[in-house]
Amino acid sequence: MKFQTASITAALMLTTQAYAGEITIYTSYEEDEAAAFLDLAREAMPDVEMNMLRLSTGDLAARIIAEQGNPQHDVIWGFAASTIVNPEIEKTLEPYAPEGIEGIPAAFKSADDKWFAVTGYMAAFCVNNERLKDKGLEMPTSWADLTDPAFKGEVVMPNPASSGTGYIQISSILQMMGEEDGWALLDDLDENVAQYIKSGSKPCHAASAGEYIVGASYDMRAIKNIAEGYPITMVIPSEGSGNELEANALVASSDNKEDAKRFLDWTITPEAATAYGKWKAIVTMPGGEKPQQFLDAGLPKDTSDVLHPTDFKAAADDRTAIIEEWQKRYEN
Amino acid sequence: MADVMAPPRRRLPKMGDTTISLGLSVLVLLALAVFFVVPVIAILWRSFDTGAGYGLGNYVAALSDPRIWELVVNSLAVSGLSAFCAVTLAYFYAYALQRTHVVWKSALRMVVMLPLFAPSLIQAQGLIFLLGRNGIFNRFLGFDIEIYGFWGVAIANTLYTFPYAFLILSAALAVADARLYEGAIVMGARPFKIFRTVTLASTKFGIAAALFVAFSLSITDFGNAIVIGGNFDVLATEIYSKVIGQAQFHLGAVIGVILLVPAALSKLIVERISKKQHSQVTDKSVALQIRPNRKRDWLFGTYAGLIVGVFLSVPLIVVFASLVKLWPYNMSFTLQHYRFDVQNGTAPLWNSIGVAMATAFFGVIAVFAASIVTLKFRTPLSGPISFLATLPASIPGMVLGLGYVLAFNSLSNPLNFLYGTFPLIILLYIYYNHAQGYLITATSLKQISSTFDEASTMLGGSALRTLFKVTLPLLWPTLLGVGVFFFMRAMVSLSAVIFLITPQTQVAAVSVLQLADRGATNQAAAFSVCIMGIVILMLLLVRTVLWAAGARGVTLIR
Repeated sequence: MKFQTASITAALMLTTQAYAGEITIYTSYEEDEAAAFLDLAREAMPDVEMNMLRLSTGDLAARIIAEQGNPQHDVIWGFAASTIVNPEIEKTLEPYAPEGIEGIPAAFKSADDKWFAVTGYMAAFCVNNERLKDKGLEMPTSWADLTDPAFKGEVVMPNPASSGTGYIQISSILQMMGEEDGWALLDDLDENVAQYIKSGSKPCHAASAGEYIVGASYDMRAIKNIAEGYPITMVIPSEGSGNELEANALVASSDNKEDAKRFLDWTITPEAATAYGKWKAIVTMPGGEKPQQFLDAGLPKDTSDVLHPTDFKAAADDRTAIIEEWQKRYEN
Repeated sequence: MADVMAPPRRRLPKMGDTTISLGLSVLVLLALAVFFVVPVIAILWRSFDTGAGYGLGNYVAALSDPRIWELVVNSLAVSGLSAFCAVTLAYFYAYALQRTHVVWKSALRMVVMLPLFAPSLIQAQGLIFLLGRNGIFNRFLGFDIEIYGFWGVAIANTLYTFPYAFLILSAALAVADARLYEGAIVMGARPFKIFRTVTLASTKFGIAAALFVAFSLSITDFGNAIVIGGNFDVLATEIYSKVIGQAQFHLGAVIGVILLVPAALSKLIVERISKKQHSQVTDKSVALQIRPNRKRDWLFGTYAGLIVGVFLSVPLIVVFASLVKLWPYNMSFTLQHYRFDVQNGTAPLWNSIGVAMATAFFGVIAVFAASIVTLKFRTPLSGPISFLATLPASIPGMVLGLGYVLAFNSLSNPLNFLYGTFPLIILLYIYYNHAQGYLITATSLKQISSTFDEASTMLGGSALRTLFKVTLPLLWPTLLGVGVFFFMRAMVSLSAVIFLITPQTQVAAVSVLQLADRGATNQAAAFSVCIMGIVILMLLLVRTVLWAAGARGVTLIR
């Protein structure tokens, strides 16, 4: 209700012109997570008026690039690291090292301070228990299991050409197994894949709805769908799980950098970290216990055991080439 | 189109009329230029940006890739098939409503409009609820249907374009000159021959316009193809992959331009088909009285019933899904999904109602003005205006939305102050749906003979006087319908507006997307049900107002 009045009042003013004490935040955190985090941020900084726009990674990237001539936002929050390094987005950022940035390992921030990531997500399968039982199949535990001909037509994956989650799955397989073995595995997998869906979360939704047995997706999607009540199991591939970081950054054109920086400082406070812990499987800074719900869903206490240490730089550099090769092999 | 559509000019208009005609034409053209052409160019010129200067490099690369040609074939095949099916089905449905005595006509009109009442995202979802691998047919009725792929997209697009085709065809079949039919009967023609030589011939323009709209909507739509297409890719999904998936605007823009080719070709073909369409209502016309014919009414009644069944099934399943705990596993009744926990709650619904009303009001003015200056006031600008008025149908919403950002967010644009406001969202909705609104109006306007105008002019009436005293009184029921159409579109369209919303200007369709994105499918269905409810309420409200005002014979959806 509180949002509602605020948004109606703001809507009546018909303007987004920023004034001192007001910041605009662009985020790709899922809608419920973003709302929960924002509530906390508002409590911590009651004097700052925070406007938040939430769009999926791809939509938001297109929006930021289209707006680059006259950016409307002050801060980027929880936005895929593999996309924030896109030169057209990176050039709109200003280096900023918030207080306490030392607590975040070097692997999770850019060398030139243009972005840092406090949270992330990793590849996970959503396996529909009901459909698995109907077909009399064993619970898969790895990418290799999914190449079993018994799964023919029962696996859905995100299309790396249109989904960031899809791309990290492919790129992590290639990074973990090397070019040759990696493509060989993907070739075998392709025999069983019914659809390459054009979104990272839809494969899990499709498996949850019982359309297919396995949907390759990401951790929180599986955990949340289990919480919604869908009869699915989360499986983290035993080969290692590719992961994506959700980065925060300061926008160079911001006309309220003071508050924008305060906001970024807040995103790495222990208080924020505790909140992230309740919503995210990967938190790059200490603090915060994993909720029992996550562990029940099958998430290990220490995710670094299952994470494949992703080389984000290489993943970003090779993106076009890998997608081209992938399309050549598996599309049409 | 205008030059073939317009009746031959028989006498020179008066001096004052020329000024008014030209003035209004310039105004219409200017608005189309600012709110349509400039944004489209702002995005499409990027197709020449090769990274190392400007040139045709991107086109050479794209056209030498065999994949693109496969996508072209896919796009043409699926859009051609669904346009053909939608127009054929809609023609006989409109015929049933306009030329036979089937019962419950108002309800029949309303039901086939249902696909316009909810975001297409949720309709595709509804189709999966019904026909998916774990949908009702397969899960509970023991079928083994595979919906994903070419046929799924063809079915979804047929359903999606049917209402547009119906609106245009219904306007075309609404009026007829009884003398033609009597003449045919006197000459001993059989019913089928009469249908072919009189009915079909006199609705050529409507058929052509409906084909063009259905084809353009299918070829530019990526929503259905993404949800239900599986691995079946088309040009529109390729734009999505390039722009949203890989943030490569220049490659997406190339495909946006390629997409204009079949659309432009279809427009040329349409012009040929619709050549020599004569006005249906002249000063000598006798309104067609539909003769009683039990057999015919039964036949068309059954057909209409079947169509209604299909069009009811998808929204009903969405309503049902919004009322159960967890589709399809836990079917116990609950209202919990109507307690929306999406950001901003139900505020976007109220925003959307305001936006949709403004879109309806200004949208009608825009397309009415465009139809008048192309069909009634002949000026040298009529040709270009008629071309531009229907071009928006060939531009995918995503492309137009990003074009708006590029054009209006730029500080060098004097209209920059509109950026981030509701008025710009309203303008986007008007020009995004301009082609359909224009074609419905023009189809209706074409049926009104220019002899009325001439009589009025000869009696000393100015062009404006003729407009207000003759044309408007004949046309206003259609305009009301066009207003309702704009209202519905502004309540539900998503692909373009997603790039213009700000934290302060959220609209209802985006809330549905947010909910669907985060996996709350049942809640997304519930939010869509609210949108559908508002549209239906609005229809009833306008209906009541009309009824109270004494206009009892008027239907909102013709």
